[in-house]
Amino acid sequence: MNELEMERSELEQELDDTAQDVTEEISEIGEAAEETAAEAEDTAEEAFDNAEGTAEEAADAAEEISVSEIEEIAEPVAVNRGSQKKPKLSYEKKKGLYGYGFIALWIIGTLYFFIYPLIVSFIYSLHDTKVTEGGMELNNRGFHNYVNAFRQDQDYSKALVETLSSTALKTPLILVFSIFIAVILNQKFRGRTFARAVFFLPVIIATGPVIDIINGNMSTGGYAGGSEQFSTMFETNLVDQLLNFLGIYNISDTLTETLNTLTSDIFNLVWNSGIQILLFLSALQGIPFSAKEAAQMEGATAWEYFWKITIPYISPQILTSLVYTIVDSFVDPGNQVMEIVLNKAKSWNHGYSAAMAWAYFLIIAVVLAIVVAIINKFVYYEVE
Amino acid sequence: MATKKEEKQFEKERKAAIKARKKRMKEEGLEKYLTPEQIRYNRNKAIIGAVWPVFRFLILFGLCFIILYPLIFMISTAFRPNEQMNDPSVVWLPKSLTMENVNQVWKTMKFENTLLTTLKYNIISSVLQVVTCAVTGYGFARFKFKGKSILFAIVVLMIIVPPQIITIPLFMQFRNFGIPGVWTTSLIDTGWTMYLPALFANGLRAGLFIFIFRQFFRGLPKELEDAAYLDGCGPLKTFLIVMCPNAKTSFLTVFLFSIVWYWNDFYVASSFFTSADTIALSLKNLDAALIQDLFRGQAPSVRQLIVWLEAGCILSITPLLVMYIFLQRYFIEGIERSGITGM
Repeated sequence: MNELEMERSELEQELDDTAQDVTEEISEIGEAAEETAAEAEDTAEEAFDNAEGTAEEAADAAEEISVSEIEEIAEPVAVNRGSQKKPKLSYEKKKGLYGYGFIALWIIGTLYFFIYPLIVSFIYSLHDTKVTEGGMELNNRGFHNYVNAFRQDQDYSKALVETLSSTALKTPLILVFSIFIAVILNQKFRGRTFARAVFFLPVIIATGPVIDIINGNMSTGGYAGGSEQFSTMFETNLVDQLLNFLGIYNISDTLTETLNTLTSDIFNLVWNSGIQILLFLSALQGIPFSAKEAAQMEGATAWEYFWKITIPYISPQILTSLVYTIVDSFVDPGNQVMEIVLNKAKSWNHGYSAAMAWAYFLIIAVVLAIVVAIINKFVYYEVE
Repeated sequence: MATKKEEKQFEKERKAAIKARKKRMKEEGLEKYLTPEQIRYNRNKAIIGAVWPVFRFLILFGLCFIILYPLIFMISTAFRPNEQMNDPSVVWLPKSLTMENVNQVWKTMKFENTLLTTLKYNIISSVLQVVTCAVTGYGFARFKFKGKSILFAIVVLMIIVPPQIITIPLFMQFRNFGIPGVWTTSLIDTGWTMYLPALFANGLRAGLFIFIFRQFFRGLPKELEDAAYLDGCGPLKTFLIVMCPNAKTSFLTVFLFSIVWYWNDFYVASSFFTSADTIALSLKNLDAALIQDLFRGQAPSVRQLIVWLEAGCILSITPLLVMYIFLQRYFIEGIERSGITGM
């Protein structure tokens, strides 16, 4: 008991000592704070005397200091902070202005080369146009052109439906195909660089007029021996035989036909997926090694790995590629709607052409919005 | 950091060790070490590892063939005499080679002039476009200001809106360029129809390039900017001295893409040029020009023209192909690294 009491009294004494120390320190700090506060008030008063404009600033500083006093942060840093606050804010603001400066060129250019023509073309679409010497003669018809395009022009709505359905058919195919190829090209094997270079080659060639000549060779198939050979090589007979073999030939005509168009179109499929393959490749390389390691430790098969690791990680890129593919296929000058629009423009029917282009563009926008809204729900964003 | 050589050495040793361990395990009986599931997993993996490369090779070989087929066909056709097109005994390898087709097309396309004009238009607009798009992209990536999201929505709109919608109003604008009533001039048929939009970050596919640059600059660490600020750099100086050198590959990638797209573009060029000036345009009009030159206006079938058309194709893509072969890694790696990663 004695020993315990002794210990206790010792501890109490120690506690007292430390408490005293602390209070001394606090009082010291308080003095220092008072001193600095007085100094700051002095400077504030000086500033007040000097100029009315800076008065507010000084008051701010003083306020800052009194606040710091309450919080017992009596170091001079507080004073510094108080006086620095204003320029820091203005630096942020200045940076914002610099931001406008950086995009100023683009803003001017966009107003002149994008927004204004867009508005003018919308105005055209509401008018009957007649090209005259040095300008356009406009004749207001309201939404007559739009109504005409859908009601009277049989080609237009037919082409519209066809373009939409072919895009709907092609887009998933291109996506699946490019994911598949990207996964393959992401593995390590000899000749990978060569294969990558080849798969990306279409991007360089296919945007130009060369593709028209190539496509001409492919579609008519009768120009020369070589292309005949090619078309027989990928003749749909093979597909029919495969379907026969699987026992699903001629179950329904539409099914067979769809499959046939898909397989005979493999050339276009491969030639249109260069960019998408590239996007997926970059996404695949962004999968952290730890995820792969963890999957291996858990004994995931390649199949499970693909569905549970790869797909979630590249899902943002799937969205990007999806948007890119849809836009690319809609904007392609080779598709039917674009052809009609361009022909109408060439025959100086600008108002009508603009109306058709605008209607088409609005449809694209709606389709894109719906697709993005749906797919976005399934996209997995890694929270960092 | 181990050097590459050392790393290779390590890898080698590691593999040898694994092999030795596996051998030992096999000798002592696998069941001692692994559960049945693990054995099955390993065996399946080994089987797939042996079979898959064969399939992979077949798939890639077939697809590469599909991609390269038109090029092979082009080369095979362009250098054969016209008569051999109808010769059933000639399929891939012509019996004799000739440069006549290429020479003829060279003359019809006035290739050296066309090439020079195309190069001039291309390089000037691409350089302008890269610089202005980089500046704009940086502005969107690194600064906070009011209305930024709306302005960026316009960038996205620029990607989506087909150029066909705005071509005709743009044509009118270029026809009467200047301030109405004070001073106007026509820019049609001059290079300014390409330079001016490029100068104001509105060239071909500018929206996409701004997007790429923004994505890249956003990925750079904030500390870089802070360090530059502490050392006394204003935003402009930070951009020029600190950010640009980091973005070298991005610059090159965007520049290359820009060159390719300007080279291949015939829609915009055909809207603003009345005479065939660029390579893409003259290739587009090649069959008409050939009919004029070779057949005195009598319309032959396309089959008779094929050798010259293919020769024209070869002429017009050779510069691009050469560039691609040498700079291939910047096309692919540039996008991979600077990444349009994440939207």
